[in-house]
Amino acid sequence: MTEAALSAPVAAPAVDRERLTAVGFVLPSFVIIAGVFALPLMLLLGVSFVDANGLTIANYKRLLGTPYYLWVIWNSLRLGLLTTIIAFLISYPAAFALARARGPLRSVLLATLFLPLAASVIVKAFAWTILLRSDGIVNETLMALGIIEDPIRMIFTETALIVGAVNIFLPFMILPIYAIVAQLDSRYAEAAATLGASPVVTFFRVILPLTLPGIIAGVALVFSLSVSAYVVPTLLIGEKYPTLATTIAKAYLLAREPGFGAAAGVVLLAIAIAVVALSARLSREPK
Amino acid sequence: MSESSPHLVVRGVSKRYGPTTVLDHIDLTIRRGELVTLLGPSGCGKTTLLRAIAGLAQPDTGKVELAGRDITHVPPHKRNVGVVFQSYALFPHLTVAGNVAFGLKVRGMARREIDVAVDRALSLVKLGHLASRRISALSGGQQQRVALARAIAVEPDVLLFDEALSALDRKLREEMQVELRRLLQEVKATAIFVTHDQDEALTMSDRVAVMNKGRIEQLAEPRELYLRPASLFALNFVGLSTRISGTVLSADNGKVDVETKVGRLSALGNFQAGSPVIVAARPEQLRIGGEDETNSASGRVRSVVFQGSRTLVEVDAGAGESLLAELSGRDGAIPGVHDEIRLSWPVAETFAFPMEAQA
Ligand SMILES: Nc1ncnc2c1ncn2[C@@H]1O[C@H](COP(=O)(O)OP(=O)(O)OP(=O)(O)O)[C@@H](O)[C@H]1O
Ligand SMILES: [Mg+2]
Repeated sequence: MTEAALSAPVAAPAVDRERLTAVGFVLPSFVIIAGVFALPLMLLLGVSFVDANGLTIANYKRLLGTPYYLWVIWNSLRLGLLTTIIAFLISYPAAFALARARGPLRSVLLATLFLPLAASVIVKAFAWTILLRSDGIVNETLMALGIIEDPIRMIFTETALIVGAVNIFLPFMILPIYAIVAQLDSRYAEAAATLGASPVVTFFRVILPLTLPGIIAGVALVFSLSVSAYVVPTLLIGEKYPTLATTIAKAYLLAREPGFGAAAGVVLLAIAIAVVALSARLSREPK
Repeated sequence: MSESSPHLVVRGVSKRYGPTTVLDHIDLTIRRGELVTLLGPSGCGKTTLLRAIAGLAQPDTGKVELAGRDITHVPPHKRNVGVVFQSYALFPHLTVAGNVAFGLKVRGMARREIDVAVDRALSLVKLGHLASRRISALSGGQQQRVALARAIAVEPDVLLFDEALSALDRKLREEMQVELRRLLQEVKATAIFVTHDQDEALTMSDRVAVMNKGRIEQLAEPRELYLRPASLFALNFVGLSTRISGTVLSADNGKVDVETKVGRLSALGNFQAGSPVIVAARPEQLRIGGEDETNSASGRVRSVVFQGSRTLVEVDAGAGESLLAELSGRDGAIPGVHDEIRLSWPVAETFAFPMEAQA
């Protein structure tokens, strides 16, 4: 500090030092990202264009040219989109309720959001199978109450899949939205009201645009998590709802087709990036 | 509507938050085109009163009428009341022009008319050149102007300013005070300012309402407020004064003789003999020397503060009482510290206030 003060008239070294410090802070995360993400990603991309005979685009042709695999891609998209939309519809009002809550209630609500994050996805998915099985808690209860006579088929349906996925990924939608909503100054809504905006108009012209960054973060998180979910579809619906993630696993573990698996991985990644980029684009206020 | 007919009427408005009474039967009538300031210490209920007028806080009892309409139960967006918040509350996702246009858009005004109105409002506050700027790229003073332009663009029936200038530095604030008053008079706006800055109140307004503990203690023109404070609180809150405690000896026709530790003084006021009172006078009424038919007291000069056109002299009158005199250079010699002097002031400019009302 003293040294910096003494050398203050000579501006150049100070600036350099600042820049060096900044680089120093960024370096570790840069190394990790490069080593853990960028490098494997390059490998993945490379492998996806290779088969036994050398360079090829056959993997992509197979993936994007076969009706079965288009259906698989569609399944992944459906899972991602439905989960994201439903999670958003639940989370948006929930985030406001959370921000309005005071004292112990707020702590309890926040804890119920955070605690499930500590449990592994597998545990939570299994919990859903226990609930939804033919001899599961939900069916047993309904039968005991005489509401139904025979167990309803709940597990291994798309409904079960979406319900489970929404439940498991919900915190990733609520928390980013809550973070924005909690900081939202109530004066904005009051100012809008005094300018003549009804509550509905205020919502669409002020509240929604101001909370958009939280929505985008939540959508990007939940979509990229659910579109690529592996455990959730495997446990809650299984074979009859193949997704890109389960296809990748099969290609590597059973079929021993790393090139094809890699291509599926690249397509999955492209979808996730496309949706994240699109939602970031939408966040920009249209003129 | 005539210039002098009541435009905004607040009648018997009370508001409690839990056990605390924040507004205590407020009555306030404002004429069309009048600029009124609510002046009072922190927590006395100024903001709450503004919010009740704007419809952002529902009073427990009482009525609010604006432009001949009972708006007590009208929601804020249907009141046509403009508010300039202390924090400005400009919409960060909109440009300067977008902010000013907001109120016109939600009123469904045609686009062409909106553009014209926005241009006019922005040129009034001299910000036409910044129309397409982002809010975050404005200085505090510029934001203040945008907030003002946004509020006046919709031509509200009354404009409410909640310490709208207090975020500005002193020089800018003083400039804005004068400019704002000129501008509001130009557009013939009716406005209420909230402030705890007495200079701002005296500069900006046609009338000042001194608030204390949820009540309006006095509503008067700035000059009258200064010359004829209605209560000890109003006296203390606006301007300086000499205050001496004592007991009423005799009362006669609006005049009292008071026994104090610095001698017998006469003052205006209606009290019964034996009442404890505070006798007060404004410092510019005090003159050096003793004259007949005036109040006077003597003591040793404690401090002399030169303030340009005037000099403030504080005199220790003994027994814990002090006198404050404001002398102009024309009055002749300014005493030095430790000088023994005698000060006198006219009985007609001396007031007595009940002791227990001390804030
Ligand atoms: N929403 C609320 N809930 C509970 N108490 C409140 C609320 N709003 C205001 N109060 C209380 O009412 C009193 C008056 O508040 P108000 O904001 O009107 O004061 P003010 O005169 O504007 O003060 P300042 O000059 O500090 O802004 C304060 O004691 C405050 O704590
Ligand atoms: Mg206030």
